This record gives sequence, C-alpha cells and structure tokens, in this order.
Amino acid sequence: MDIEAIQITFESEIQNLKSAEELEGLRIKYLGRKGIIAHLTSQIPSLPQSERAGFGKRVNSLKDKITALIEEKQRNLSLNQGISQGAGADIGMPGIAQELGRLHLLTQVIDEICDIFQRMGFSVVVGPEIETEYNNFTGLNIPLEHPSREAFDTFYIQDYPKLLLRSHTSPVQIRAMKAQKPPLAIIAPGRVYRPDAVDASHSFMFHQIEGFMVDQDIKFSDLKGVLEVFAKGVFGEDIKMRFRPHFFPFTEPSAEVDISCIICNGKGCSVCGRKGWLEILGAGMIHPKVLKNVGYDFKKYSGFAFGMGVERIAMLKYGINDIRLFFENDLRFLKQF
Amino acid sequence: MKVTYNWLRDFVEIKISPQALAEKLTMAGLEVTSLEKKDGDYVFDIEVTPNRSDCLSVIGIAREVAAVTNKKLKLPGASTSPRYHATSHHRTGKLKIKIEDKKDCSLYTAKIIRGVKVRVSPEWLRKRLELVGCRSVNNIVDITNYILFEWGEPLHAFDLDKLNAQQIAVRRGRNQEKIITIDGKERVLSANILVIADKEKPVAVAGVMGGRDSEVLESTNNILLEAAVFNPIIVRRSRQALGLESESSYRFERGLDFETALHASWAASELIKKLAGGYVDSVYRAGSNRIRKKIVTLNPSYFNKILGINITLTKIKALLKNLGFQIKAYSKKNIRIEIPAFRSDVTMAVDLVEEIARIHGYRAIPQTQPLLRPRVKPCAERVKSARVKNILLGLGSSEVITYSLINREILHNFCVNEAVAIQNPLNRGQEILRPTLLASLIKCLAYNLHQKQEYINIFETAKIFYRSENKPKEELVLGLALCGTRPLLLEQGMVKDSVSMLHLKGILETLFQRLGISNYEFIDCEDPHKVNVLCHKRQVGLILEANREILEKAGIKNKRVFLAEINLNALAPFFSAEKIFQPPPLYPGITYDISVVIKEETGVKKILQAVKEIGGQLLEEVKIIDYYRGKQIPRGFKGITLSCLYRCRERTLRQEETACLHSSVCKLLTETFGAEIRGNVK
Repeated sequence: MDIEAIQITFESEIQNLKSAEELEGLRIKYLGRKGIIAHLTSQIPSLPQSERAGFGKRVNSLKDKITALIEEKQRNLSLNQGISQGAGADIGMPGIAQELGRLHLLTQVIDEICDIFQRMGFSVVVGPEIETEYNNFTGLNIPLEHPSREAFDTFYIQDYPKLLLRSHTSPVQIRAMKAQKPPLAIIAPGRVYRPDAVDASHSFMFHQIEGFMVDQDIKFSDLKGVLEVFAKGVFGEDIKMRFRPHFFPFTEPSAEVDISCIICNGKGCSVCGRKGWLEILGAGMIHPKVLKNVGYDFKKYSGFAFGMGVERIAMLKYGINDIRLFFENDLRFLKQF
Repeated sequence: MKVTYNWLRDFVEIKISPQALAEKLTMAGLEVTSLEKKDGDYVFDIEVTPNRSDCLSVIGIAREVAAVTNKKLKLPGASTSPRYHATSHHRTGKLKIKIEDKKDCSLYTAKIIRGVKVRVSPEWLRKRLELVGCRSVNNIVDITNYILFEWGEPLHAFDLDKLNAQQIAVRRGRNQEKIITIDGKERVLSANILVIADKEKPVAVAGVMGGRDSEVLESTNNILLEAAVFNPIIVRRSRQALGLESESSYRFERGLDFETALHASWAASELIKKLAGGYVDSVYRAGSNRIRKKIVTLNPSYFNKILGINITLTKIKALLKNLGFQIKAYSKKNIRIEIPAFRSDVTMAVDLVEEIARIHGYRAIPQTQPLLRPRVKPCAERVKSARVKNILLGLGSSEVITYSLINREILHNFCVNEAVAIQNPLNRGQEILRPTLLASLIKCLAYNLHQKQEYINIFETAKIFYRSENKPKEELVLGLALCGTRPLLLEQGMVKDSVSMLHLKGILETLFQRLGISNYEFIDCEDPHKVNVLCHKRQVGLILEANREILEKAGIKNKRVFLAEINLNALAPFFSAEKIFQPPPLYPGITYDISVVIKEETGVKKILQAVKEIGGQLLEEVKIIDYYRGKQIPRGFKGITLSCLYRCRERTLRQEETACLHSSVCKLLTETFGAEIRGNVK
C-alpha cells in the first residue's frame, strides 16, 4: 500500500472532522487493533528481506505523524468544545447554577456559638419546650410568688396543671444534671417563650443558649476564661469584656456580662446608650441549692452557668434593629445571610 | 429606685463626682441606668435587683456607697436601740391592736400623734420628693413618703378622728366588703386581700394603699402613724387581686424587717414634731417580739474555691463591716458573721462570697481555663436536624423560623390532632401550640407573595404539639412549602419551571437518599391532592396541595401551593450515616432506551415495578428519562421513555443475553400494559 497516499487521505480526513467522536473513529481506523497501521505492520514479515527495514521505518514514521496529528487535533477540539459555530460566549450573561437555600440567620448564629463551645469541649444537649414548673422555677431556686419570678412571666398550659412553656433554657440544667454525674460541660440552645407584647425589641418567642459546667474544681475565674473565648470568637479579638455583679436566683455569685460596644468601640453611641458597653449575657456560679436539688454534693462540686439571648447577639452583630424581622421570614431579609 | 447625690450625702461623705460614683455603684451590682443633673442636684436612677429590698432606700444605697468608697455610714439615731423607740411611750388602754394571723403581719406599730398642723411642706422637702418622682401632698403625707424613700419602710398616716379608734385590726378582707382607696376608686375586697380595719370597716389595704375616708387633710389634728411588717406574699396577692401597685407594695413584696420599721417610725415622728408640731401621745405595738439573729460561718479558703482568687482575712473583715455585717469571732479557718436584719437575702456562706467579691470587684478575678473532658457522642437530635437542613439548602430551600404559638382558627382547614391550648395568651395569636407547621408556612408564603416573590421554596424544622392523655406530646417535624414559578435561564433561553407535587417528591427523595433511608414510598390517597409518605411501611408524613379554602384564608390568589410535613422523630430511627463501599462495576453495561405510548391512567409506578421484576438481577436500573403529551400522542395517552441498564457484576454480558432479556421487557410493556413501542434505542 502506498504510505504517502495513506498519509494524504488521513490529513484530509482529520482536517474535516469536527467532533471528538469523529476523531475517536478516525483513531480507531488508523491506530486501532485492526486499524490501517496494524495492517501495514502485519505485512512486514511477508516482504522481501531487503525492503523490510525501509518499509518498517516508514510505517513507524507514519504512525508517529498520525499520533501527533491526532493529539494536536484533540487539544484543539477540547479548546473549542461547547462554543457554537462562530461567536464565543458572552461572559457578561448570567451564570447558570442551582440557587442554594439559606439557613435562617438565627440558626447560623446558634451554630456559630455552639461550634465555639464545642471546640472548647462542651457538648450540645436539647430539652423539651413544654416544661414542668419544677424544672423551670422551683428546681432553679426561683420561689413561687416571689418578685424574682416577675422577670420570667410565663405561658401556662391549659388543662395540664404545673406544665408551662419554658421561659428560659435553664431547665436543661436540671434535666442534664439529673441525668448524669459530673464532670459535665453542656451547651443547650432552643426556643423559649414569655408573654411579652411584640415590638421592635420584644417577642413572645425567642431563642436562648444556656451553658454550664460542673466539676470538682470549677471557679468563677473559669467562667471568665470560657466566656472570654466565646466573646472573642463571636465579636472579634479586639472586644473587651466586663463582669458586673447582678442577681439571678440560680447563681451565686451572679454577673451580667457586657462587651465593649461594637459600634463605637466603647466611646459611647446611641446603640449602647452612651455607656460604651453592651450587655450580652447573664452568668454566675451555680447556686448550691440548685446543685442540691439535682442531688449533687455541693460541698464537693461547683459549677458555672450562663445564658444568652440569640436574637440580641444576632442583632448586635449584624446591626439589625427590629426583632420582628427574624420571624417575618421575608426572603429579602433571609437571603442576606 | 431614684436617689439624689445630696440626699446620699446626708448619710455618707462622698468625695468623688456623681459620674465616678455611678460607675462604682454599677460595678458593685447597683446598675445606674441614668444620671441626670436637676435643680442643683444629681438624680441617680438605680436598678435594684429583687433580692436587695434594703437598697430600695436612700440609706441602703448610702450604705453601698460607703462600702465602695471605704467610708463610714452616718445613721441618725443609730446609737439608740430601735426597741427603745418602740416602747418609750408605750401606754396601754385606749387602743387595741388585733392581728388576726401573725403569718400575715409579724409586726404592727401605731403612734398616736396629737395636735399636728397640716399644711404645705417646706420647700426642701417638696424638692427632694419631686426629684425622686413623688408628688407633694401635705406635710404629713410628704413626711411618710420621705421616710419611705429614705428608710425603705412604707408608713401610713390615718386621720385619727375619722377612725373608730378603739380597735385596729389586721385581718383578711371579707367577701364583698368594699373600700374607697386614696386614688378615689372603689375596691371590692376578698379573703385574698389583707386589710387594716377599725372597729367597723376596712380603712386601708395593708401594705398597698390607704382609704380615702381616713386620709390626712388640712383639717386633720390628730393622726395614727402606722409602721408594720406585712407578709410579702399576701401583699403581692392583694395588689395582684386589685391590680394596684404602689411604692409601698413594691417594698413589702420584697421583704422588710422589724428594725427598719421601728427606726423609720421613730424618724417619721421626729420629723412630724419638727415640721407639723404636735406630740406623741402614745405608742402601740403588736405582733412578734423576737428578732432572731442570723449567724453565718465563712471559711476564707472558700473564696478561692468559688472565685479562684485569694482575699486576705483583714480585707474580708473590712469589706463585710462596711456593708453592715458584724464579725462576731474569727480565726484563720472560720469567720462568724452576724447578718443584719435588713439583709434577709444573705443566708449562706456563698452569699457572703458574692458580697465580698462584688465590693472587691469582679475585675480582680483572673481568667482561667477549666479542665474539660469532652464527650465523644454528639447530640443526636441536633446532628440529625443539621443533616436534614444541609441537604435541603443544597436543594435550594431556605430555612424559616415561625412562631410556635398560633391562632386556633387558622387550623380550620387542616386535619390535625387536637391542639394544646395556652392558659394565659396575650392575644388570639397565641391561643394554641401548633399541631402542624403547615399553617405557619402558608402564612409565610403569603407574606412573601405579597412582597412580589415569584418563587418560594422554604422549610422549617420545629416542634409540633398535640394533646395526649398524661402529657402533651412534643415532636420534631420538618415542614416544606413550595409555590410559584422558577425562571431557569439556560443556554437555549428561559424555561419556566412551575412547581408541582413532583418537585416536593424530588426534594424528599433526595433527602431520604442522602439520609441513608432506602425503604420509602409515596402512596396515593383518596384525596387526589394528597400523598402519604411511608418509611419502612410506616407513615412518616404527607405531601399535599393546599386547597382553595386554605389559600383563600391566607389571601393567596391564583397560585398553586404545595406542602409537605415529615415527622423527624418517626424518621430518625431509619437515618443511617453508615456507608458501605462498593467498587465501581468492572464490566460494561448495556443501556436500552424504549419510548412507549401508554394510556393516561396507567400508573408509571406499576410499570417500573413489573419491569424490575422481569429484568431480575441483570437489570441494574430502570428509570423514566422523558415523558410527553402533545401533538404526536393521541388524546387519553401519554408518552414515556424508559431507560434500562443491564449489567452483570461478574462478567461482560453477552449481546444475545441482553437482547433476549430486553425483548421480554418489551413484550411485558406491550402485552401487560398495552403499550405501543415507538422507539427502542441501544
């Protein structure tokens, strides 16, 4: 067979083809197991001795040429793939993709906070939203008919005496401590309910995150250390923190925790009421009476606890000025985060 | 609680500015919420926590000022025993004080002061009262108010001549008994309300407000000055029953003590003599005599255990003394401390730790990291709902959070379990705990449709609640809602993707597959707009298209709305995070695509099942890859394209094998399902 003729045919064939499939067909036709090159090679033994070497060389060089041209064509084809005849793509056109959904901002904030505490070694626990009066109040050293209950106006459940909608996440303390022995370090996020009239800063349903830790040697200084990690994790390394004495029935000593105002850096602005500080959570050492109520030996064990409002933290962090936005679920709001 | 800078200076020397003082008080636990310069004085508004009834007084706050500035409190008459004030002029005879139940009232004292001249108060008195937000009435009333603010003990002055003054009784109200209080309103009394009564009638609501008929007026000559200690709970119940809160009830509810009552009564009578003239004619007292001294023992090492900081014994003693605690005895291991009567909140050593810590300053406590022993097991519920949420986000669904409390009425068109009701809702929107998420999701769709959203794909994971015998049930569910048309801009142009039930099915299928749930089914119901979702043969939820009533109620017009609710509690046992590796197939498979035309009513599910059965093990997969209705298809028929993938895991399939198998599939389609084969491509 005339090797040159084969080469010319090949060259015209390869020039005209336009798709990877056609190219593959061409490759099989020439370089395949039963292809033209194989056929030529198989003829070598039947040639006279004197022609064998020369023919062999030419076949090989043809094979190299074909291989090289196929490779080149392959590159060109893949470069041009997808582009329709003529004009290239207008990259100014909108990209084509499946739109992702968004997690609600509150879920994102809860996740972020839980992650920080989990990195420190806390475990997440959740509790029911319908609670007993004992877990919500009495077990936490909040006496019946005492003004300290006023901070916790509560929805009661009809027809089921002594059941209520939890007004804070602290009942998880009672549940978790009754279920397991120290040491424990727990973070408990969830919905809570209080009969408040709805306005820009009040909602009858909101979210809290409770945290607590009990072991043989837990001190107030540990509480300060742990909350510092939390505050810097959420609000940034430069944030300053202060602990102010306060009163909660279930902790003693108790504190309210402020961070330096993230709007004015502590200089005083309208957000922080010119104080330079923003209250973000309540905390303290778990009251010995609470430890006693769950059956812990309060002479042996001590612990700290803290609780924060998720909406407040989200509002501060993102500059949101109306709590109702969280529950209106306007997609134009949700999709910003 | 409002106090002024100058009023505080009556009791303690202050050498720092009002601003510096505000900062110090805040950092000691008395948060100054505002500081205002007014009339040459400064008014502090202080948030007093409910445990510190002693700080609902100028003297109480002055004591804190003394402690934080390391000064001494100057108390008038402190050198004289309170007992002395109460008994110095004690006479028996004329007036009888009767306490019905000592639990309601542990102390009742009355001073009869005769010959007073009721007139306008001097300017300094009026001004101070005005600065703390109290209206001036006349000198006698103003003095009782002044002492209330200064000592924290509410006093009441009766016009003695308007009482049937042989007997004063502290008793519960009787049914349908009435009194007109000073504010001019008639109040109906009951046994839940404690009253002060003369021989005939109630003359005051104990601890809450006096009666109008015995009010001190300019015509008054003789007064009865009351100072008492009422039970906090009965005062609380009285004011709740009457809906009447006063400066007086606010203090009684938080607890008062004998000593303060006796001191205040003495201080008031001194001031009355000075400003209104008159003389103390006689003094009466009833109730318990005993003032029990409380002793708490504190081990100084306890500080370090609780706070992580050491404070010297000398410092502890000094701080406690400044706060009015008395050190009875001390050693290195124990301090015996007598708790003053006005600090009823201090009962345990840990309370004293807080007292010292807050005056010493929380700032001095260092930051340490506790030794944590992490648990390996994560919170199952949270992990599971996080997995669900992640999958849904990838499918383009956005999370919403809606109220768990809803209006009962919006459930009307949903068939659900009986709802749990709220006993004390503020409005109808909080009537019940929702037994389904769907009503809330529809509301959320409607809101967004009104904001001109064209395509809404949302979900929520939250608890639902319903009644059951012993305890209401609470279950975690997933709700999905889909509405509108999604414009898909593809290379060939815009395609409008209008949502349907199949969109929700697709979301749920992907969700189940990714959760590792293999055994799930979608089962038709009698209602053509509803599909039950089963998992391992148990119903776990449903998909439905909202009917017209539901949409009308929600104010949604001309839109189709698809909803799904899946009980995650029921689904959770079937979640499987475990994956078993399967090597990709070694041998090639052969795919046949068959296009058939079948009757409209022929269910695709049945066809797929039958094909699978006949295909046996060699049929790796059969799926629908296209379907159409239209010009080429006669009415009452639909076209579908099935794709059958044949493969054997152990060897390459022979051509004849698959051809034979596939022809039996074709035969099944034509003979059993009456399908007309339009194309059959390998």
